Amino acid sequence: MAIKRFTSMAYSEADEMVFGNAKLPVKAGLDLEIGAGYTTAEVNYAPRPEAGESMEKLVNEYQRITKDIMARMVQVGFPSVVLETEHVQQMTNNPSWGAAVAHAQKTIMEEYHEEYGIKCALRHTPGDIREHKEFMQLRGDKMAVVMESFEQIAESGADLLSIESMGGKEIFDYAVLRNDVPGMLYAIGCLGTMDMDYLWQEISSVAQKKGVVSAGDTDCAQANTAMFIAGGLLDKNLAHTLAILARAISAPRSLAAYEAGAVGPGKDCGYENIIVKAISGMPMSFEGKTSTCAHSDVMGNLIMQCCDLWSNESVEYHGEFGGTTVQCWSESLNYDCALMNTALKSGNEKILRDLLMASDRFRDPQSYVLAYDNAYAVGEAIVKDGEDIFLRAKNAAIACCDTLNNADGLEMTKFELGALAKATAELDAITSESETFMSECMERFSKEVPVFKPENYAL
Amino acid sequence: MLIVDKEGILIRYNVKMEKSMTPEEAAAELYPKEELYKPIAEAIFEGEEDDVIEGLEAAIAAGKDPIALIDDALMVGMKVVTDLYDQGVIFLPNVMMSADAMLDGIEFCKSQSTETPVQKGKVVCMVAEGDVHDIGKSIVAALLRANGYEVIDLGRDVPSAEALAAVKEHEPLMMTGTALMTTTMYAFKEVNDLLVESGITMPFACGGGAVNQDFVSTYSLGVYGEEAADAPKMADAILAGADIAALRAKFHNH
Repeated sequence: MAIKRFTSMAYSEADEMVFGNAKLPVKAGLDLEIGAGYTTAEVNYAPRPEAGESMEKLVNEYQRITKDIMARMVQVGFPSVVLETEHVQQMTNNPSWGAAVAHAQKTIMEEYHEEYGIKCALRHTPGDIREHKEFMQLRGDKMAVVMESFEQIAESGADLLSIESMGGKEIFDYAVLRNDVPGMLYAIGCLGTMDMDYLWQEISSVAQKKGVVSAGDTDCAQANTAMFIAGGLLDKNLAHTLAILARAISAPRSLAAYEAGAVGPGKDCGYENIIVKAISGMPMSFEGKTSTCAHSDVMGNLIMQCCDLWSNESVEYHGEFGGTTVQCWSESLNYDCALMNTALKSGNEKILRDLLMASDRFRDPQSYVLAYDNAYAVGEAIVKDGEDIFLRAKNAAIACCDTLNNADGLEMTKFELGALAKATAELDAITSESETFMSECMERFSKEVPVFKPENYAL
Repeated sequence: MLIVDKEGILIRYNVKMEKSMTPEEAAAELYPKEELYKPIAEAIFEGEEDDVIEGLEAAIAAGKDPIALIDDALMVGMKVVTDLYDQGVIFLPNVMMSADAMLDGIEFCKSQSTETPVQKGKVVCMVAEGDVHDIGKSIVAALLRANGYEVIDLGRDVPSAEALAAVKEHEPLMMTGTALMTTTMYAFKEVNDLLVESGITMPFACGGGAVNQDFVSTYSLGVYGEEAADAPKMADAILAGADIAALRAKFHNH
């Protein structure tokens, strides 16, 4: 599939964006339409570790998970649900395992749809297994296994195809631990986007061939690594101003999936999806206060502001007082969706969106930049040079710094301000010539990062 | 658009609790007084490799023993950094950059002498088999080195048998294991069982991603580390005589 870069915004202004509505809704699975006037819960889960011992055990585990979720949905009266299965490595490395799980899950979902009319869809997310012990191998044998996995799950019942790809991570891991802003820009904005271009053209071709949805990616491997290292307010591992800088740079990288044929819904842990939605107009999945089972964040309400799917990220399957974990979390997610859908039906969606946003706006530099108005401004900076993957990533980083440097009402520590000032100065000093930046980085990181293999990016 | 004053909604405790002293001011109070050592310690704090080497050259030219300089200047400079990190005055990337500079300095000192430096102890670091996420292990290894430990880094996706062989060969005071995924952390149990079968009683400190205290407590050598910064503290505790029960009492906080 050809690459078609975004050079304009899907929305004419930030205020036009709300939850449950996307400019380009997506039909998927069993009568579900995403971004078409209502929100839907996206439930995500992990099998108990011992279930990975054999295909039979895994299939059985996912059958239990699927039945539990679907049963709770009808018991409490929810009209729609998406299930997301993020593969454990065995399921991607053995494509027939992933296919068997998809088939088993979809069979149960079809039974519930037939009996109760509940609208539902199944997302499958193979693991990005394109690596060897010492270094990444993004192209070659492992890529073939990943694509075989996509083919088989699409044939076996998966409606939405996603992946959390890792391109650029070998440089990012080195750069983020050294406050290296040019390195982060190179890793996410350049190498990450190049790998996305390569990978998502292939995934979109499979989706088109099999009649399913090429859904989208997330920069979990890099922007979420930065967010998790940054941690809470009192953690001392990374300035939160740098974590949001990585996030801003990840938006044009994740956008690349939709430039290579994906149509949404974007993956839940892509906190950059608010920027991606503003540019692409495609529906997006988000996670926040209902993903505390998987990790903490500092924007649990705010990030719900414009969601189309509302996710819990992941929870290990086991028993709780209120049922199994997937039952508890699917119920919580869907009560949030019921509230959003009530707001939509009663014409109060912008009030609820703003309440969610306002409650976290000043909690952190990360939430401040991802507030929908500021996220929209980052989007505008990206599309200004939409055809140049380096320049648009640099623009996103500069727009992020500008937003924070001009922040009104946000308190930051001296450390956060110091890191911001250093990043702003470093960005100012970076060339605007894409070729110069790429060749300088290539030379530098080939020396400094032994596991960096330029051939992974056809360089 | 609705903007609401944050008063009563949230508190940025990091702003409220911030220390008044800048990192540079705090570091200045901790530098060694000795004229030849101070520039080396400052260069370590700044993470400037070239300045570290320059300072070492000057000290050696003035008659200082290269191997003694590791403890007297490089480790003293690094302690300034790790102390300020523990106090929350500086952040992890500063430690990483300082550790890079310190390691360059150690290599330089070794190249200037025929003697071999004595370190505090050996620690083997590994990532669970099947897991290729190694940023946590990289942080743990850097913090251990920054605190004067020799690190045997086995890398990522380490087969259990390889971990056992490394422990037998190096006889470390502990091994660290990191994993991101719930499905790979089960390898820790396998490593534990192999170690126990071989009669090894060394602590096996595990953490990262989905790893939790409950899981690590299920195998006999396991000690849960919630933060990467716990690793050097555990090593120090072991040197001070702590056994697995004592480590669990100190580091199992949940």
